[in-house]
Amino acid sequence: MRIAVCLKYVPDPSTIEVDPLTGMIDAGRALYMMNPADESALELALRLRPPSGTVTVFSVGPVEADHLLQDALAAGADAAVRVWDDSLNNTKPIVTTILLAAALRVQQLPDLVLCGGHSVDRGSGTVPALLAEYLDWPVVTDVTQFELQSGRMRVQRRLARGARAEGEVTLPAILGLETGLVHLRQASLPNLMRAKHLLITRYGLEELDLSPQDLHFPAMTLHEVMPPRPRARVMFTPDSTKSASERVAQIMSAGVSGKAGKILDSGTPEQQADAILTFLLEQGFLETRA
Amino acid sequence: MTAPPAKEQFDVIIVGAGPAGSAAALLSARAGLKVMLLERGEYPGAKNVSGAVFYGSAILNELIPNWWEHAPVERHICRRDIAFMSPTTSVALDFHCVGDGYGTAPYNGFTVLRPKFDRWLAAQAEAAGAFVLTSAVVDDVLRENGRIVGVRVRREQGEIYGNVVIACDGVNSFLAKKAGLQRTFHPHELSLGVKEVVGLDPAIIQDRFRLNDNDGIAFEYLGAITEDVHGGAFLYTNRDSLSLGVIGQISSLVERRKRPYELLERFKAHPAVAPLVRGSKLREYSAHLIPESGWAMKPKLYTDGMLVAGDAAGFCLAAGLYLEGMNYAMQSGLAAAETAIAACARGNFSARTLAAYQKHLKQRHVSTDFRAYRHAPSFVNGPRLQNLYPEMVACGMEQLFRVDGAPKRKILPLAYRMARQFEMKPGQLFRDAYQVARAYLW
Amino acid sequence: MVMTTHEEKMRTVRFRVAATPHIVLNSEICRNQCSVHACVYVCPANLFVPLDDGGILFNYEQCFECGTCYIACNQEGAIDWSYPDGGYGVTFRES
Repeated sequence: MRIAVCLKYVPDPSTIEVDPLTGMIDAGRALYMMNPADESALELALRLRPPSGTVTVFSVGPVEADHLLQDALAAGADAAVRVWDDSLNNTKPIVTTILLAAALRVQQLPDLVLCGGHSVDRGSGTVPALLAEYLDWPVVTDVTQFELQSGRMRVQRRLARGARAEGEVTLPAILGLETGLVHLRQASLPNLMRAKHLLITRYGLEELDLSPQDLHFPAMTLHEVMPPRPRARVMFTPDSTKSASERVAQIMSAGVSGKAGKILDSGTPEQQADAILTFLLEQGFLETRA
Repeated sequence: MTAPPAKEQFDVIIVGAGPAGSAAALLSARAGLKVMLLERGEYPGAKNVSGAVFYGSAILNELIPNWWEHAPVERHICRRDIAFMSPTTSVALDFHCVGDGYGTAPYNGFTVLRPKFDRWLAAQAEAAGAFVLTSAVVDDVLRENGRIVGVRVRREQGEIYGNVVIACDGVNSFLAKKAGLQRTFHPHELSLGVKEVVGLDPAIIQDRFRLNDNDGIAFEYLGAITEDVHGGAFLYTNRDSLSLGVIGQISSLVERRKRPYELLERFKAHPAVAPLVRGSKLREYSAHLIPESGWAMKPKLYTDGMLVAGDAAGFCLAAGLYLEGMNYAMQSGLAAAETAIAACARGNFSARTLAAYQKHLKQRHVSTDFRAYRHAPSFVNGPRLQNLYPEMVACGMEQLFRVDGAPKRKILPLAYRMARQFEMKPGQLFRDAYQVARAYLW
Repeated sequence: MVMTTHEEKMRTVRFRVAATPHIVLNSEICRNQCSVHACVYVCPANLFVPLDDGGILFNYEQCFECGTCYIACNQEGAIDWSYPDGGYGVTFRES
């Protein structure tokens, strides 16, 4: 059985410092680590690996990501692949996925791909599903447990409000794992030493038979990064035209008035839609009328 | 995975990738030895803290010519102040030199940020051929027939074997203790340094401290800055930040029940310091022990198969005029490497062969310096120099310069009055004068 | 922000917390044999908290690994001190 694990080198959230004036992250102060969910994925892959099986780790990232892959090799991964091209300056989920899918193909498709469900930096949680699209494989996300039973994978998923769902998926498949299931094992000293000498396979666009055009997705463009600007808080003041007792009552209720809903049961559908739109504009949910 | 090769043998195992360990690894690797450099942090320098002025520029220049052009250095030191403080007054000795060797190559000292500098130095050792292994904490030495033959890393199959172990594992050196070379310490022998790196615009730093380009200052403070706790304080300029901190003797902190970080806040609020740190923003807080007693806490430096260097050997000169550690760490690391190289050439690693370490330490002026200033630390940390004299000097100067219509006094009667005001006995004054002279003059 | 609280200071330091504590306190000794409780004052990370019953509560997660506590501790054996596992514990970036 051949297992692939996708790893991401992410900034440790506790080291991320945002300049309050520019809203930019101080890159010189950030320290990087293996994404916690990916760490779980790698440990579970190592536990699942049968004696004749292999675990190969993949990462999309610049040369610094070699640290991450070396840690994975020290923990017991059999091979490591790093995908990067110096023309890349961002790792949008879609770009990451295309690169990962291509690298998985070049390495011959495995029987199982394990991914961390969410990264702590971007956290879109879309890579497992996108990968499923590009490989045309089944995917199960939000996985909390899985077990191999005669060639089929029994999985447990987390649903909303603490509910769980159990199901089965046939291999080859992709699993997106929850964060914090298990911690990565401590590497033995010989493995730690050997990992420094193991070669990490490096793929650029050429080796993956991709052109920059293949990675060009204009669907989303980042125009500007701005610091969050909270809306000014409106202090409650009682209505001065009311009587003293009414004002006291207003203060006592701390400005909370009963939710006065309005039911739109008259007028044409167009008029009702217009009323909703006006309401959203008044409340500031919409900025301009489309 | 294949089974690991049985009992891989190194020529030298160096524990701790600080300035001592990395210098030792660099020199040993260049001599063609098979070197293992072990570091417990996630990268070399991750656990390392000091002031941090590195006064060993000339030493490193012998190993790596014009090293400052490649290394992450902050500013070269061309102005030093030693200030005696009372709560409202400061009397300082101010030394400023932009000339030969201070403002020009090879420079006298540089401020550095240890996590960056130490990481760079370890990378030089690695480039020279040393095997640098991080995330490896060493718990014990390995012995065979009474001889030290390696170390045990706290990991599965953690034994590493080598002909010579060089312990550069810092002030808390577990190796020196496990090898039976070091005793347990007393709280009066060690000081705790707490430090902040605070960010400040380089243009403001240059204006505020009257500096050209990459010039830098090293200010050191004695007296009321630490209240009644024995210790001192420092303030150094980096490129776009200041390093500042307070040092307190542990026994004294315990006795006075003072929290070190509160002393740090008081230091920043002192009227002589507050304008220097105004407008800065905290970037990192840190703390570290300092083996201040130097010569008095020196362990036995060698045994069969092992040498001790750097802070682990107490090679930190805290003598008032001097606050130096990294240079001695580096020198002792190099002396240990020279000893190991010679031992490898002879194929003999007994205590008798390794005793040559003492000769190398002498040639590199480590043991001679520490012997020469062996009386200084206890005097500097004594109660009168710590509290009384700075206050007396500050008060005396304050009266010397005061113009209030009263007749001017000459210095001798003024000094006499000061001595009486602070209840100094002549005998004590003479004894202290002798102490100063013995510590610094001859 | 020149003057900072201890909490603000500690927030600037990065810790990678190991699964097991590297320092263990023998609270019996703290409770019954120690009246000084020096550790409470000297620890630069303020990790020792005195308890009502005379014992000491210790949090290892934000330890600088400096060693001040065991040097200051006047009761032999109250503090069992070692370093955290390799790669864990405090990581300084600029000091």
